[in-house]
Amino acid sequence: MQWLTLYKKECLESARNFKWIWVPLVFILLCITDPLSTYYLPLILESTGGLPEGAVIEIPTPLPFEVFMMSISQLNLLGILVIALITMGTISGERKDGVAELILVKPVSYFSYITAKWTAYMTLILSSTFIGFLASWYYIELLFGDLSFTNILLTFLFFGIWLMFVVSISIFMNTSSKLPGIVLFLTLGTLIAMNLGTTIFSTYLEWSPSKIVSYLPVLLNNGYVPEDLWFSSFGAAILSALFIFGATLLLKRREMV
Amino acid sequence: MLAGLIKPTEGHVSLDDYKENDIRKHIGYLPQHPQFHSWMTGREFLIYAAQLSHLPKKEAAQKADSLLNRFELQEMKNRKIKKYSGGMKQRLGIAQAIIHSPKVLLLDEPVSALDPIGRRTILNLMEQLKKETTLLYSTHILGDAEEVSDEILLMHKGAVVESGSLDKVKQRHNVDKITLRFAKDTKKYQNILENLSSVIKTEYKKQTLQVYVTDPVIAKDEVLSLAVSEKWPLLHFEVGRTTLEDLFMKVVNEHAVADPI
Repeated sequence: MQWLTLYKKECLESARNFKWIWVPLVFILLCITDPLSTYYLPLILESTGGLPEGAVIEIPTPLPFEVFMMSISQLNLLGILVIALITMGTISGERKDGVAELILVKPVSYFSYITAKWTAYMTLILSSTFIGFLASWYYIELLFGDLSFTNILLTFLFFGIWLMFVVSISIFMNTSSKLPGIVLFLTLGTLIAMNLGTTIFSTYLEWSPSKIVSYLPVLLNNGYVPEDLWFSSFGAAILSALFIFGATLLLKRREMV
Repeated sequence: MLAGLIKPTEGHVSLDDYKENDIRKHIGYLPQHPQFHSWMTGREFLIYAAQLSHLPKKEAAQKADSLLNRFELQEMKNRKIKKYSGGMKQRLGIAQAIIHSPKVLLLDEPVSALDPIGRRTILNLMEQLKKETTLLYSTHILGDAEEVSDEILLMHKGAVVESGSLDKVKQRHNVDKITLRFAKDTKKYQNILENLSSVIKTEYKKQTLQVYVTDPVIAKDEVLSLAVSEKWPLLHFEVGRTTLEDLFMKVVNEHAVADPI
């Protein structure tokens, strides 16, 4: 009941400041630029006329699943930046300007406060991602050829776990500083450090959440879930849970005033 | 700390008759500079606050409306909070603090940032709220404290230096004095007054003459008869009980002397 109140408030806030409009739009944009630009590349080159007379360039048409992976890597880069940006002030901002003081003197459980925010942002981000995927899929079907929708759903599921991990990091960082800028820096810093660590110790860290995206092409192509993908998703889920519990503990120990 | 926002390093906060750990349920709190979700309307925020205090939705809406009426915010209830003035925010703040009928209401300097009219409104509200719940508030405007409080706690350097009901504390530190103001020649009258038998000492500050006396009744008669027979140019005459401000200065000074840092 109380949790629902908190959740509704978060969703209402995201609607009032138009996050529910611009985030899906940005995600759609990120998802369709690559399918479109790849398909129209020969046309674009021709019309801008940068090529000398008689030059013949053979650009191999990529396979549908390769084009879809381009969309995913856009989301993985710019999409994650957007996620970090929209979540950076959700708790830290409220603490900074003092609203948290007013909310947390009510008999509100810290765990509900955090999980309601987390769920609200997950709802927004997953819906936006799904809409983006649909848009990308539509253009791929139109321009490149058939791509199994079941595979896309499966891919969405595992990519969603990766995004969940990102949101959890951001929420955790939210409780560690009152300044949204610092939260953004810490979130992106952690992600970059994890990426780096995973690349260096890649043989030991097959289960690292950062590797989820690199396993997706196989899944997308033939609908088969590699064992390592299970492991890394499992790792992401466990680490997310730890981050959320850590955030609750940390927030309890923070002074609100 | 009382509101549960800061964990005490030692000891614990308890409320009579309530044994459970989370006493936040029974506490209403208004910070010194209350901040709201400025994108919400006043009514939405009150309902939100009520629901967070475990009030069912319908009751929350009723409570919110009745409080909006009572605090004269009904015209603004569907406007965004960012459009509210300081006084409105303060009233909204008190409304959200009492929406769940708390046993104890904590107000942190509720009137210090307000204009005179807003201040008056809030003080009147506090006068009413006193009858419904226990009201604990901090202020450095001692005139307000004197007006609304039944019991006072004086704090100096983080420690309680004096406490009790307002009347008792005043009695304990009462200094009998008469305050006089003259149109001219104050110095001359000061000398005359100092020679009276009932006068202990006199003090001249800010145009007024403070006359400390042994017995206010006798001294009053003496001074007044002198004033009439010698036609003193008296502007102001007051047989003073100590104000809270005098009292505060006195108590704090005593402690500063006893405990120099």
